[in-house]
Amino acid sequence: MRGRSGARRVSRALLITLILVWSAFPIYWALNTSFTTLNGAQSVPAHFVPSPFTAQNYKTLLNSSGGVGNQFWRSFLNATIESGLATVLTVVIALFAAYAFARLEFRGKRIILVAVLATLLLPVYATLIPLYRIMSSVHLVNTYPGIILVYTSGFLPLAIWIMYNYFASVPRELEEAAFVDGATPVVALWRVMIPVSLPGIAATAIIVFLMGWAQFIFPLVLSSDLTTQPVTVVVAALYGQRIVPFTLLNAVGVLAAALPGVIALVLNRYIVQGVMAGSIK
Amino acid sequence: MSGERTPTGRKRPRKRGRFLPYILLSPLVLFIGALALYPTILTTVQAFFTVNPMDPPTRFSGLANFRALFHNSFVRQSAANTALYIVVGVGLSTLFGLGIALVLQRRSRWRGVVLALVVLPWALPAVVESVIWGWIYDPTFGVLNSVLKSLGLINSDHVWIGIGRIVSIVLIELVQVWQITPLAALLILAALQSIPQELYEAARVDGAGRWEMFRRVTLPLVRPGLAVAMVESLILSLNVFDQVYVLNGFAPGGASIMMQTYQISFNNLNFGQGYALSLLATFATMLLSLLILAVVYRRVEF
Amino acid sequence: MPVLLVVVLLAALVVLAAACGSSTSTSSSPSAAATTSSGVLPSPTAGSSITVVYHYPAPPKSVLDQFTAQTGVKVSWVEVGWDNLQTKIATAATSNTYFADLTDVDWSKVGQYYKTKWFMPLNPYFDAAALKADMPQIDTFASNGQQLALPFDSSFTVTTLNTKIAKAAGVTGTPANLTDYTNALKQIKAKGAVPNPLDIPFAAAEGLSTYWYQLTAAYGGQVLDASYAPQFTSPSSAGYKALQWMVDAYKSGLVPKANIGMADYQGFTSEMAPGRVASVFSDYSGSVGSIYDVPSSSKVTGQVQYIPTPGVSGPAPNLSNPDGVGIPVTAKNVAGALAFIKWFTDTQQQAIWAGLNGSSDVISGFPLPARVSSLQLLAQGNKVSGASELMTLLGSSRAEFPGPGAPPWYSQFSNAVYTNIHQAAAGAETVQQAVTNIATEVNQLKASQ
Repeated sequence: MRGRSGARRVSRALLITLILVWSAFPIYWALNTSFTTLNGAQSVPAHFVPSPFTAQNYKTLLNSSGGVGNQFWRSFLNATIESGLATVLTVVIALFAAYAFARLEFRGKRIILVAVLATLLLPVYATLIPLYRIMSSVHLVNTYPGIILVYTSGFLPLAIWIMYNYFASVPRELEEAAFVDGATPVVALWRVMIPVSLPGIAATAIIVFLMGWAQFIFPLVLSSDLTTQPVTVVVAALYGQRIVPFTLLNAVGVLAAALPGVIALVLNRYIVQGVMAGSIK
Repeated sequence: MSGERTPTGRKRPRKRGRFLPYILLSPLVLFIGALALYPTILTTVQAFFTVNPMDPPTRFSGLANFRALFHNSFVRQSAANTALYIVVGVGLSTLFGLGIALVLQRRSRWRGVVLALVVLPWALPAVVESVIWGWIYDPTFGVLNSVLKSLGLINSDHVWIGIGRIVSIVLIELVQVWQITPLAALLILAALQSIPQELYEAARVDGAGRWEMFRRVTLPLVRPGLAVAMVESLILSLNVFDQVYVLNGFAPGGASIMMQTYQISFNNLNFGQGYALSLLATFATMLLSLLILAVVYRRVEF
Repeated sequence: MPVLLVVVLLAALVVLAAACGSSTSTSSSPSAAATTSSGVLPSPTAGSSITVVYHYPAPPKSVLDQFTAQTGVKVSWVEVGWDNLQTKIATAATSNTYFADLTDVDWSKVGQYYKTKWFMPLNPYFDAAALKADMPQIDTFASNGQQLALPFDSSFTVTTLNTKIAKAAGVTGTPANLTDYTNALKQIKAKGAVPNPLDIPFAAAEGLSTYWYQLTAAYGGQVLDASYAPQFTSPSSAGYKALQWMVDAYKSGLVPKANIGMADYQGFTSEMAPGRVASVFSDYSGSVGSIYDVPSSSKVTGQVQYIPTPGVSGPAPNLSNPDGVGIPVTAKNVAGALAFIKWFTDTQQQAIWAGLNGSSDVISGFPLPARVSSLQLLAQGNKVSGASELMTLLGSSRAEFPGPGAPPWYSQFSNAVYTNIHQAAAGAETVQQAVTNIATEVNQLKASQ
């Protein structure tokens, strides 16, 4: 740490700047485009600071009686509900399952664990079409429950993997103490394991929520209209449609990125821990 | 577990706990069984059937779907495209991820902030990112052309996506690389941080320079992390859909296998062929993942 | 092992289900097609609601409220882009799910819908024969005697030209034939003000197919004959020449390079409306009134006109491509839907969508009314830009597949068409290869029926 030469410091600062530009430039550009008029955005050469500056695009979007605004906020609500409820369901189920894998011994444990984790390798489309036909045969297409069930089944393996690693790394002595006091495994889970692993549970919840919010191809197929369409489907549709100007589209993009973006920035610590914990075989 | 005694000599309850694991696991098994395993079995079986509302009824047709796929030039083209998607996706995300992980290895004041920004692209929906990048790539008003022109690298506005097949694929995949590099970086970072410091000390005592240390200590020990990162990137780039849907639409030039499956199933309504293509792609994923793990993953002990 | 047992049971279940087949047939087949209509509609229930899913924006709320006041039925209108909408219709129908009481029936899908039985025949409620005089394009939506939709509008492809740009480049008069037209474009390009004067939407989407059909008609031919055999394989055929013309136009710079990724409406709004191109050979009727002459989104108000489509030897026929509105068999409120169709397509309302009561009551982008009587109302009130030209062109319009109508496999055909033309323009295929590929696909589709 001592004696780091000036050159090394400079090159390190340069690298970090490069990384920051790489990570943030597109978002900055979207912001830049969204805060100006169509003429300003289409000026040649491009303006790196919005000029003229206007917040009109956001005003249009916040006025939910208009077409685009209405579509956007309804889809925002849909995405949040679908992802949120799927997160809750996933975390609860994964909690119990991960505890069973980490702390209990039983026949078939290896096989079930391997089978569950193997589904992580399954590409999306191994299940896309059949899931669509299953959901439609029980009339759950274009309903919240249908979409939430599909999301949950998709996120469970990852959630279990992350929580399993967390639970496995908790020292057994803590539960031993509870057992001494006559606790059953379930009580030990409730009183000891969960409080101790809250960071891991939080990480799992955040990661699953973000993945749910980003889903595209499943809702594209499973939700046919604004009753359940999330933000991603609406944004893609607006991009392909005729008359939405690029400045408004970038404002939609910024708002669509706002929720996951803020979560990622503020709760970054949990995400990093969660991913890194899950990578240690 | 039976008959073990706790330090105080008390016997752990046995009978009550026997069904507990299965109770705890039942929701999981139900979900995975019904919504993951069963659909996969359905895909596998119905790939050998003709399933098409325009051509009822559903009936067994052996290898007909597979034969039709091999003869379909668009399917073959999407397979070739996807191969390029994978090479670019895995290659660049691993390279950049390794670079970022190495730079961020050292704890510093700024690391938290930098990490937060680095992770940001991973958290945003791919569709939103594609729309944003689409505007950057826009031939007439995009900032890419604008910057290249002011640097004097090009004379007139280039059409980036749609004309050159390779350029289009590389640029579309770049959007996905932007999204998955943070994941690779975090996975590799975890592996880097698990390398014991003593090994570096020992190498320095032996007189190794920075490059030597990297080659002899870092690279071998980070291989498990690299392997996991590469498999993750492989799965994501083989599956690439959102970016292709937004930036490429239904054009064959940049179509990926996933895009082709979607078109066959939902535009042409030929679900049987869609199943068949899904099955082929699943096999490809598993084969390639095993290949990567076999070649790259190696636990090294010193 | 209990788990293994479960897996085996599931697998057995699946094989059983698959072998039992016919899980894909839609449940209710529509009532036998009665060819005579009573003309009497069932009364809708007051307080009920209908959902309309369509690729046009909703009429203004105030106007929809009038319908609610008249019938007691509330209307929920959802706008979905055309390509997306076709997928939605297909996925909802194959899964037997309700998604709308009324939706788009595209002229090209009528053959397919007759085969798949996804839409309710309207014969018991509307007398097509009686309506034909006032709704010339109503036949487009009938197949084998079943009236599967009524026209939502009347629409045909037209050629638009920005006369201001043309005059500034020294082009005098209206191009009388295709050679004159091509030369005019070259002249505009040479003068420099508009370096790429022609808009062709080369994105792999339906608009590209329609463009090709119109150009083929300009060359005096059709793409398929009455038995759906390909007519474009020989280099001297109309379809081949049309494809060659389109690809040459792109490669020689008459069309902006960026158009390789541009779909039809994108081209109108981001190129023609800002004055960046001078002409669209295959535009849609009504675009002058609904896009180019609208001050808030256009920089060329008053400059764009409809011109007779320049064919090889004089004016070419324009191809009709009207939109239809039909009732899916899964609809929940059939009475309400029928009442809506009747209201939506009556003379007064059709004229209002196109601007009879001013621009506050229009449906944005609405092409032309489906009824001749509505057009007359509009012409009297001078409410539609280029009304007189449009009425003349409507008179000379014809269907793309006169006689048998669009084939049931039209979507796959169109898919083959637009992907291959796109490839040819992008330089990934030669024109000969594109033509061969499309023809091969057509023959395969014909053979599989």
